[in-house]
Amino acid sequence: MTSRLLFVALLIPAIGVAALASAGRDGIVSALSAQAKQDNSKFTSFSAEAGKKFWFTAHVGGKSDTPSCVTCHTKDARTMGQTRAGKAIDPMAVSANPNRFTDPEKVAKWFGRNCNTVLGRECTAEEKGNVITYLMSQ
Amino acid sequence: MARHSEHSLGSEFFIWDLPTRLFHWVLVIGVAVALYTGFLAPASWLGIHLFAGYAIAVLIVFRLVWWKFGFEYSRLAALVAAIRRLPQFLPALIRLKPPHSAGHNPAGSAMIALLIATLSLIVVTGFMVEGGQEKQGVLAGVLDYAAGSTARNLHSLSANLLLGLIAVHLAGVAVETVLQRTPLVRGMISGRLPLPLHVVNPAPRPARPLAAAFILSAIAVAAAPAALALLRLPARGVPSAPLNLAYATECGACHNAFHPSLLPRQSWAAIMAHLGDHFGEDASLSPATAAGIAAYLDRNAAEAWDTEPANRLRSVAAAEPLRITAAPYWIRKHAGIGAATFAAAPIKSKTNCAACHGDATTGRFDDQAIAIPPTQAKGP
Ligand code: HEC
Ligand code: HEC
Ligand code: HEC
Repeated sequence: MTSRLLFVALLIPAIGVAALASAGRDGIVSALSAQAKQDNSKFTSFSAEAGKKFWFTAHVGGKSDTPSCVTCHTKDARTMGQTRAGKAIDPMAVSANPNRFTDPEKVAKWFGRNCNTVLGRECTAEEKGNVITYLMSQ
Repeated sequence: MARHSEHSLGSEFFIWDLPTRLFHWVLVIGVAVALYTGFLAPASWLGIHLFAGYAIAVLIVFRLVWWKFGFEYSRLAALVAAIRRLPQFLPALIRLKPPHSAGHNPAGSAMIALLIATLSLIVVTGFMVEGGQEKQGVLAGVLDYAAGSTARNLHSLSANLLLGLIAVHLAGVAVETVLQRTPLVRGMISGRLPLPLHVVNPAPRPARPLAAAFILSAIAVAAAPAALALLRLPARGVPSAPLNLAYATECGACHNAFHPSLLPRQSWAAIMAHLGDHFGEDASLSPATAAGIAAYLDRNAAEAWDTEPANRLRSVAAAEPLRITAAPYWIRKHAGIGAATFAAAPIKSKTNCAACHGDATTGRFDDQAIAIPPTQAKGP
């Protein structure tokens, strides 16, 4: 009896944290979606397929050492990536790392940096939303 | 120990008391270890070098006391008397007919005085280098890096001098052993030497081990609290605070956060002013976060500290002033490590200081904390 109570008592915060994480992610995605509609009236919804393509493409316009997102985040988003300085990067796939895309400031900071490094420009809201949608599907 | 009745065994006479013989051979081991670890071994062996140095210091203190209380031939008085006979001895030595001596002959006595003086200088300057440069040991709270550097020059100079003295000492032992057929090495083991009766002191002063033990205990009792008080002083100019959290998080995202003491103010300022183009990447931060980190780096840059890396890494490379790994000192210290080692897992990069330096986040970079981890070559 007590052990079942204990289990429930532990489960509630666990569910709570998970729910909070996904709520944070949903908030980020819906904000991006609103921005994407504003930028492009024909925008309907994010596409994991387009996100995947963007993620793997060797872009031009950015730094030659980092042509693509997978240069650092690796081709399998469920595994550890690596920075140019050799430091490990936690997996980007939400299934492997439930904390991904839950802090709006962190998401904005890294999209800002990495898009500039890889593409030499900012990413559009649609590109960002597509990438997150792709990584949520992984 | 050195009792009168032990003086003569046939034509062999008791010359070297047990403490003197033990002193001699333990000193030989200590000096061999100190020379090897000082001149040849990797920096990470500093702990063994220091241990040998402490042992030699204790041996010298013992020997100075034993100069007063040892058996006749171990005494300072005998040493001085022998050195006084040097003017008569040297011409005889040049004619290859040196007279016999009980105990060290005049040239040998002069050598002992030089050896003890040189070893004392090495030990004292060693403590100063340890305190001033390495920020360890009893003088870490007292001496600054500059004093440690001066001491280091004297330390290496006197260590080189010691090598020369040892060579001459060994040559002297060989010459006396051959010319006079006196087995000096065996004498330093058994304590007895075959000698003509007329050179042996007819009334040798006996050893006074109890008096020596009393004086040595008194020295220990007086020195221990002084050493403890010194050890309790904080090391001079050594950072003690952990890394600022915002700095460690933001500047530790793509590489380990470098300790701020590893670059001068100007370099940090330039790095913080150009985060948008940071070694080929965009590392920009919000203006408020960047300002906080810039202020932290400015307060804690190399100029603010007195550790060895802070002193040495203040001089950056003119061509690449923003890189720690381009500084002449850094390059010199890591010249022996191949590019393949740096690239191999788990190191992966020169900038991964913490992979080889166990205390990298503290900024100390102690020699004893260096260990290159076992590496696997990079996969295909
Ligand atoms: C030079 C290496 C590098 C490249 C190239 C790179 N990233 Fe990253 N990225 C990082 C690092 C390092 C982090 C932060 C590590 C962490 O949060 O675990 C990060 C984090 C992120 C985050 C934040 C994740 C979160 O938890 O909120 C996003 C989003 C992101 N990257 C997107 C991209 C996209 C899109 C690309 C391609 C345009 C890209 N990255 C290319 C190194 C890189
Ligand atoms: C987006 C990733 C990223 C972030 C964030 C970042 N750096 Fe770097 N940093 C790099 C890369 C890449 C290098 C070059 C590494 C190499 O050549 O191996 C580098 C190199 C350096 C170096 C020179 C290392 C050397 O070779 O001696 C310093 C110093 C440095 N960074 C300081 C900082 C500071 C300070 C911050 C925080 C304001 C910071 N970095 C944040 C990516 C980053
Ligand atoms: C592959 C391992 C490795 C890496 C990575 C590495 N070091 Fe070292 N470092 C060493 C070794 C080994 C020595 C000792 C060299 C010697 O024998 O004199 C050393 C010596 C030093 C010394 C001199 C210590 C002293 O008191 O003599 C400093 C300072 C130092 N390293 C700083 C750094 C910094 C800063 C970084 C990162 C930017 C770094 N090292 C990265 C292996 C490494």
